[in-house]
Amino acid sequence: MGAEQAWLLAAIPAGFFLLLSFFGRPMPRGGDYFGVISIGTSFVLFFFVLADFLDTPGKVGPIVNSIEWSNIGDFHLRMGIYIDPITITMFGVVTTVALMVNIFSIGYMKGEPRYYWFFAVLQMFAASMLMLVMADNLLLVYISWELVGVCSFLLIGFYWEKRSATEAAKKAFITTRVGDVGLLIGIILLFKATGTFNIQEIIHAAEAGEIGQAYLFIAVMAIFLGCMGKSAQVPFHVWLPDAMEGPTPVSALIHAATMVVAGVYLTARLLPVFAVADGALLVVTIVGLTTALLTGFMALAQTDIKKVLAYSTVGQLGFMFVALGAGNPSVAMFHLATHAFFKALLFLGSGSVIHATHHNQEMDKLGGLWKKMPITGTTFFVGSLALAGVIPFAGFWSKDEIFVALNEAWGGWAVLLLGLAAVMTAFYTTRLFIRTFMGKPKDEHVYEHTHESGFVMTGPLIFLGILAAVSGFVVFHGVGKAIGFPGGITEFIFLEHHGPHRYEMDWGFAAGSIGMATVGIWAAAWMYWGNSTRRSTVLAEWSPGLYDMLQKKFYFDELYQAAIDRGVLGFSYVVAWFDRYVVNDTGVDGSAQATGFAGGVLKYLQTGRVPNYAMAIALGVAGLAVAGLVVRG
Amino acid sequence: MVPLENYLVLSAIVFALGVYGVLARRNAVLVLMAIELMLNAVSLNFIAFAAYLDPGKITGAIFAVFIITVAAAEVGLALAIVIRLFRNRATSNVDEAAILKW
Repeated sequence: MGAEQAWLLAAIPAGFFLLLSFFGRPMPRGGDYFGVISIGTSFVLFFFVLADFLDTPGKVGPIVNSIEWSNIGDFHLRMGIYIDPITITMFGVVTTVALMVNIFSIGYMKGEPRYYWFFAVLQMFAASMLMLVMADNLLLVYISWELVGVCSFLLIGFYWEKRSATEAAKKAFITTRVGDVGLLIGIILLFKATGTFNIQEIIHAAEAGEIGQAYLFIAVMAIFLGCMGKSAQVPFHVWLPDAMEGPTPVSALIHAATMVVAGVYLTARLLPVFAVADGALLVVTIVGLTTALLTGFMALAQTDIKKVLAYSTVGQLGFMFVALGAGNPSVAMFHLATHAFFKALLFLGSGSVIHATHHNQEMDKLGGLWKKMPITGTTFFVGSLALAGVIPFAGFWSKDEIFVALNEAWGGWAVLLLGLAAVMTAFYTTRLFIRTFMGKPKDEHVYEHTHESGFVMTGPLIFLGILAAVSGFVVFHGVGKAIGFPGGITEFIFLEHHGPHRYEMDWGFAAGSIGMATVGIWAAAWMYWGNSTRRSTVLAEWSPGLYDMLQKKFYFDELYQAAIDRGVLGFSYVVAWFDRYVVNDTGVDGSAQATGFAGGVLKYLQTGRVPNYAMAIALGVAGLAVAGLVVRG
Repeated sequence: MVPLENYLVLSAIVFALGVYGVLARRNAVLVLMAIELMLNAVSLNFIAFAAYLDPGKITGAIFAVFIITVAAAEVGLALAIVIRLFRNRATSNVDEAAILKW
């Protein structure tokens, strides 16, 4: 199979979605094996696509395959696929994580209601996500963008019997929707300026300077608004922690590894356009930095395992946006890939814990689980090291590269701020690990009943654990060469006019990264090692106000609630008044009353007597005849 | 040969008689008869024009046949209504059948 047929990667899960959603219920075990077969096929096909892509002699160029979709006057809309190194990376990430999550879910979701539907929606999600990353035009991107949003909505609200789950699903959908409006406006603006939806043509038009600066800046910012919503960047970050109401495998797949990086992907895809618009990259950097810092603080005081990981995800997405803001898509995609592996691992690990402890995800009730769950504990440890950025685990290499890129683009102050975020990452990761897996169990009852999960759950953990440990090495020229790539990841993904560049380790930055990780880990270990209640409450005692602010996540939710109560409801009140008294009473009822009154007056013209009507007809005909004669002269 | 104008004048006279009957008569049966007069006047027109302007073709004749057919059906229906009216109201005066209004 050639890379031109890569659309099959999305078509196959889409077909299995239809199969499972219509016939899944009566199947034995809800047809979960079809889920694995479907994603497994895409996973295998990915390697064919990859091989064909790398096989293109001479250079690694994009592969395009499109068909004419519709034809309106002079406008020909072509839909198709565009495969370049960014798409290939996304293919690898999405199919790998989706396959692992599918396998894991067989164990995790066992006995849940609507078991078949869970797998059906996972297939639809995989299909739309794969379509999103290979779309060659913004319209197809937008369609897939909304489809993954719908899947996210359906899966966050999977336990819809729980009110908090439906609330979270609505919150996620509406919050991202706000950004999506921006995305749609941006797409329309770019279409208006260039007359095409094709991403490459838009990039060429922008680089050729065919679009005015101010216009381009507005269009790009509108698109970035959509990216911020999808990737949960401040101030749209509020939906992602709530999205943890969904089943944990969903959190791993959609809300850590794949869907939330759609914003990063689209920004990376359109980065040449961002680079042309003056100031756009600065905005991207500032948004990324703000998010990384704020969510780092927020994660410090959370007690729910999944909430810590959720804030961590938002923060790491901020890191990726910082890399994009530095104009460096290769580093952003590199961090995206390593983050997908270790964060999916951490989420699945937390899922394993939650499953084993009968839906307990409060750190205050866990502890000492490593002894009970050796495989989960060990893989979680690897994931934590990768997230904290400890050498030589995956997160170290990608995070280090972000610092280098950021230093080149924006200089010292930005590096310092991001460094602070990295220290906090190391801190809350260590805190999470110690409080869950180390020390003495805080709740003996929960501890007693805990047991290691079965192989169907630990298998994916081990696989992702290996990836989390080693996937960072693809940055090296030799490693990339050895597995068939033209070299390290920076020699695979690059902006056209920057060209590939070979990775060289910058020992100064590496030392800085190691230092930051050490500081964070040491501080967390000092506070939480051995269940020291005196030390772990040091912040709460020193400044209760600050601690409260962290725990309440800087009052973002309260602020939005107040804004909705005052602003939206106030405006709605005015609109409702207008609707009731002007539109309804005057417009609708008024026209009905006017018609009724006119009818009441005019009805007396109707006598009911046949000769009257006959006379009217006769006079009418005579009148017409006379009129005809007069007109013809 | 009788000129076309004669036929047209005759047709106009018959039609005018029909109109007068419809407007002036009160008895429903007579109104219907007057309507028949009007229809026949129209048929006469068709035949006359067909014979003079378009000889050899039967288009006008077909129209006349259709009018006769439709008129028969129409009278059959209308007389049935008149009979029902007479049965119910003991009258055939069209002025008294005036309740179909507001």
